Amino acid sequence: MLEKIENILSSASSKIKAVKDLAQLGDIRVKYLGKNGEITALLKSLKNYPSQERPTAGKYINELRQKVEKLILDTENELSRIQKERKLKEEEIDVTLSKASLMRGGLHPITLAKNELVNAFIGLGYDVQEGPEIETDFYNFQQLNVPKDHPARDMQDTFYITDHILLRTQTSSVQARTMEVSKPPIRMICPGKVYRSDDDATHSPMFHQMEGLVVDKGIDICDLKGSLDEIAKSFFGKGIRTRLRPSYFPFTEPSVELDVSCFNCNGNGCRLCKGTGWIEVLGAGIVNPVVLEYSGIDSKVYSGFAFGVGIERCAMLKYGIPDMRFLFENDIRFLRQYK
Amino acid sequence: MKVPLSWLKEFVDIEISIQELADKLVSCGFEIEEIIYMRDNIKNVVVGKILTLEPHTNSNHLSICKVDVGESVIQIVTGANNVKVGDLVPVALDNAVLIDGTVIKTGELRGVVSQGMLCSGQELDLTEDDFAGAGVNGILILSKNAKIGQDINDIIGNTEVVLDVDVTANRPDCNSILGIAREVAAVTGKELKLPEMTYRVNNESVHYYVTVENKAFDLCPRYMAAAVKNVIQMTSPKIIRDRLKAVGVRPINNLVDITNYVLFELGQPMHAFDIENLSGRKIVIRRASGEKIVALDGKEYKLDNSDLAICDSEKPIAIAGVMGGEYSSICDTTTTVILESARFARDSVRHTSRKLNLKSDSSQRFEKGIDYISQELGMKRALALFDKYGWGEVVSGCIDEIKESYEDRVITYNYQEINKIIGKEIPKEAIIDILNALTLITTSDGNILKTCVPNYREDIVGVNDITEEVIRIYGYDIVEANIYSNTKGGMTPEQMRMEKLKDIMVGKGAFEIISYSFIPPKAFDMLNVEENSDLRKAISLSNPLGVDFSIMRTTLSYSMIKTIAYNLARNNKECRLFELAKIYLPKSLPLTELPVEKYNLSIGVFGEKEDYYTLKAIIDDIMLIFGIEVSYERKSLSYLHTGRSASILANGKEIGVLGEIHPDVLDNFDIDKKIYIAELDAEYVAQKGIDIKPYKAVSRYQGMERDLALIVPIDMAVSQLLSQIKSGATSILDNLEVFDVYQGKQIGAGKKSVAIKLFFQEYTRTLTDNEVNLEIENILSKLKEIDVHLR
Repeated sequence: MLEKIENILSSASSKIKAVKDLAQLGDIRVKYLGKNGEITALLKSLKNYPSQERPTAGKYINELRQKVEKLILDTENELSRIQKERKLKEEEIDVTLSKASLMRGGLHPITLAKNELVNAFIGLGYDVQEGPEIETDFYNFQQLNVPKDHPARDMQDTFYITDHILLRTQTSSVQARTMEVSKPPIRMICPGKVYRSDDDATHSPMFHQMEGLVVDKGIDICDLKGSLDEIAKSFFGKGIRTRLRPSYFPFTEPSVELDVSCFNCNGNGCRLCKGTGWIEVLGAGIVNPVVLEYSGIDSKVYSGFAFGVGIERCAMLKYGIPDMRFLFENDIRFLRQYK
Repeated sequence: MKVPLSWLKEFVDIEISIQELADKLVSCGFEIEEIIYMRDNIKNVVVGKILTLEPHTNSNHLSICKVDVGESVIQIVTGANNVKVGDLVPVALDNAVLIDGTVIKTGELRGVVSQGMLCSGQELDLTEDDFAGAGVNGILILSKNAKIGQDINDIIGNTEVVLDVDVTANRPDCNSILGIAREVAAVTGKELKLPEMTYRVNNESVHYYVTVENKAFDLCPRYMAAAVKNVIQMTSPKIIRDRLKAVGVRPINNLVDITNYVLFELGQPMHAFDIENLSGRKIVIRRASGEKIVALDGKEYKLDNSDLAICDSEKPIAIAGVMGGEYSSICDTTTTVILESARFARDSVRHTSRKLNLKSDSSQRFEKGIDYISQELGMKRALALFDKYGWGEVVSGCIDEIKESYEDRVITYNYQEINKIIGKEIPKEAIIDILNALTLITTSDGNILKTCVPNYREDIVGVNDITEEVIRIYGYDIVEANIYSNTKGGMTPEQMRMEKLKDIMVGKGAFEIISYSFIPPKAFDMLNVEENSDLRKAISLSNPLGVDFSIMRTTLSYSMIKTIAYNLARNNKECRLFELAKIYLPKSLPLTELPVEKYNLSIGVFGEKEDYYTLKAIIDDIMLIFGIEVSYERKSLSYLHTGRSASILANGKEIGVLGEIHPDVLDNFDIDKKIYIAELDAEYVAQKGIDIKPYKAVSRYQGMERDLALIVPIDMAVSQLLSQIKSGATSILDNLEVFDVYQGKQIGAGKKSVAIKLFFQEYTRTLTDNEVNLEIENILSKLKEIDVHLR
C-alpha cells in the first residue's frame, strides 16, 4: 500500500514537473484526481482493506491527494503567470508612436492677453463695461475734452461714417458713457475693438484697447501708480520695475506713460527696448477735471485716474510676436501656437 | 521736431552729453525718436596723401595713384587731372558711403585694381562757399594742415548731432528750437538766451510800400507786414543750409531759406511776397469767393468762403497759412519783398488744408496753434537776419493788424492742491522754483500762489495743468505706489457666459480667429446674397483705408470663409475655427442714430473628418451645455448648399444657421474643398443660457434598452420621426438615439432604414418586460400614422 502511494506520488510529481501548459495539467488532474483517477481509485479501494487498517491507509491516501493537489495548484499558478506574461509581451506596442486625437483648440493671443489683463483688474475690484464701437463724435471726442478741430484729433486718424458718427478711436469713449450714468465710486475697465486709419508692422486699422477708469474721493497719482504697477507686474512678471513719464492726453491732466523695465534684457538695453532699458506699455493720467464736469461729476469733491492699454502691444511683447499684421491673418499654423 | 544740437546751443548752454540731454527731455515729457549723427551720412572717407601718380596703360584719361591713407597705402584709379603727387585729398575707402548713399567698393578699372575713390567737393555735398577749393572741377584738394587718415567729417565740419524730439499735441510752442531750448533750460538749470533781434532800418516808411486791410479778424487775429528793399538773392551760407537740411528742409535761396529758418527756430511761419506782383500794393485778408489760385506746388486750387485768402486789391495771392501763390512769389527779378508774419485761426487752416489735401510746414504749425507773441519775434528775427547778412535794406516800421491786445493768464491757487493731486509733499519753494524756470512766473503769499502763464502756454488753464508742469520737472520718482482696490467687481453673468462660449469652442478643438470688422462691398456678391437682402444694408465708412475695408459687416460668415480660403491656399488642410465678434445693423441708412451692435458666434470647420453633422454636433453641445432647447429646420440661404443647410430655432425663433457652403460660393472664393459654417446669435445664448441646471434624480433601478429598425419614407426628417416616437410614448421613455441610417437595394425605392435605440427607465421601481412591450406597441402604431414600419 505505502509502496503504491510512493509510486503514484513520484510518477505524478515527475509528470507535473514536465507539464508545458494548462491543458496537460488538466489531463494530469483527471488522471489522478478525476472520477476514475488513480488516487480516486485508491480511495475507492479502501473498502477492500481490513477495517482496522482503513484509518491509517485513508490518512496516507488523503495526504497523497493533498500533496498532488498542491503540486497541481502550484504548477497551475506558475503556468498562468507565465501565460499572462507572454500575453503582455505579445501586446507590446511602440510607446513612442503618436496617433491623432481631438486636441483642445485655442484662444487667439489677443484674447489670451485680454483675459489676463481683465482678470488682474477684476481681482482689484473693477467692473467690466462695454460700449458701442460705432460711436458718436460727442462721446469719442467732445466729452473727453477734444472739441472739433482740436489738434489732438490728429493724434488719431479717425474713420468717419457721417459728420457725427464714427468708429471709436479709443475705448475712452466708454469712460464718458460710464461717468454719465454711474455715481462715484467708479472702478471699471472696458476692453474692446477700436479703429484708426493706420496700417503697418506696428499699426492695424482695427485693434484692441482696454480702458480703465477710477473715480472716487481723494484719488491721486500714487493711487494711479500703485494700481498700474500691480497690473504690469501681474502681466509682465513680478521682477519688472515701472516708471511714470510725462505725456499728453486731452482727457487727463497730468498725463503720463507707464514704462516697464525691459523684461528681455532686464533693463540693460537691447533691441526690444531700443537700448533704453524701458518699454512703453500704456498711457494714463489724472482725469482732467473738465472731463468730470462734462459728465456731471463734481470735480471739487471727486478725482480720478484713467488709463488705456493697447492689447495687441501687450500680446506682442509677451509672446514675442514681431508684426501686428500676423495677429489678423489668422493662419492656423500661427494660431496653433497659442493653446 | 528735429533739433540740431549746434542750433540749440545758441539758445542755451549744454554741458551734458547728448545721451544725458536726451534722457532729461524724456523725463520731462519729450520722447526722443532718434539721435541722428549727421556724420553717419559720410562713412569711411579719410584724408589721403598722393604718393605716386602714373598714367593708366589701358586708358588715355585715367591715372593710377598710390595713396597713403594712414594705416596703409592703397591703389586708386582716378579720372581726375587736378591732382599731383603730395596733394592731400578726401579718399573714399572700400565700403565707404557718400552723402547720396553711394557705396564705394574695391573694383577693377580697365584691368587695374582700384581700392577706393578720390572725392570731389560735390561728392561731399560742398560748394566753394562752404569750403575753400570745393568748387573746383575735379578732386577737392585739402590744405596741408589736414592729418593723413583723419575722418573727412571732422575736416569739413559734418559733425552735427540732431535730436528727433516727439512733441505732444498740447505743446505747439515746442515745435521750435526756442521752445525746446526753454524746456532744456528749465531741466538743466541754465539760462535761456534769445537770438539777435535788432536790425538797422532806412528812413522810409513801410506804409509807403504796402497797406494791409484785415476783413476777417476771426480767422486772422494778427497780421504783421514789413518791407525789405534792394534784396540780394544768393545761396545761403553753409550754416543755414546745413541746419535746414538737418531739420528736413531743402535749401532754395537766401530769401526762401530765411523764412524757413525762422519757422524752425521760433515756430513762426513766415511768407515773402514780391511787391511787384501785389496789385494795388495792398494786402487784403478776407474769405475767398470762389476764386482759383495756383499755389507754389504748381497746382490750381479753388477757394470758397470757408477758406481764408491773402489777397491783393484784385485776387488771392496766398492760401492763408497753407501755401503761397505762384504768381506773387519771389523770383529772380525780385528786388523788394513784403514779409508776412501772421496768426491764423487753427481750425481755419485745418479746414482748408484738409479740404484741399494740401499740407506744409506752416499749415501744420498753424493747425497745432501759434501764440500771439511769435509774430513779433519772427518778424524781428527775419529782419535781423536780412540786416546781419546784408541781404537787403530793411524799411522802417512794421504793420501790425491785431484784433485785441492779449493778456497773460493768471492762475491763483493753494500750493497744497498740487500735492493733493500728486499724493506726495513737494515743498512750496521747489514748486515756485520749477515754475519760474519754465517761465511761468510765480509769486507766493503764504500758501497761495499766483502763476502768470505766458501766451505761448495756452495749454495751462488750471491747477491740474500746473501740477503736471511741477511733477514732470520734479520727477515722477517721488510717486509711491498705492494700490487702490476694492473687494467688489467682476463680470456680469452674460459676460461670463460669453467667455464660457469661447471655452466650449476651444474644448471642441476650435481655434479663435479675430478678423477685421470691415469687409468689402463685393462680399455680398461673393456670398451670392440676393439684391434685396437685409445683409446688404450695411454701414459704409466715408474715409476707408481702401474699398476692401469700407463697410461694417452684417455677417461674420464672409470673414470666416475668407479666413478658411486663406488657410487652404497655404496648404492648411483641416481645422475648426470660431470667431465671437460684433455685427453692425443700421436702424436706417444713412445713419441718423447709432446702429445695433450684436455679438455673433461664427464657426467654420473643414478637412477630411468634418461634415455637416460634425458641425451640428458642436452646436448641439453648446445648446446642451447652456440648457437651451433648439430644433433644426431645413432652410436655404444664398451662400449655403440648398440640401445641406438649416436654421437653428429656439422657442420658434431663428437664432442661427448652419450648413455646407454652396459650390458656387466656394468657386467665388477659389476654394476646392467642402467647408461648413455656422453663425449664431451669441447674445441670445448669453442671455438665455442657464449656468446651473435643476437637479434631476439618477435612477437606482435597472433600465431597459430596445433597438428598433424602422423603414421610413426617404425624405422624412429624423427629427419628425423622433418627435412622433415621443408622442407615442409615456414618461418611461427616458432617452432615444439614432445609431444608423441606411439606404440601399434591400430597403426598396423611396425608403430608408433608421435604427433607433430606445432607453426606458422608471425612477421608483424596476420595469417589467410587459410594460416595455406595450410601450413599443404604442409607439409602432403611432409610427404607422406617418407611414413608418418595422423593418
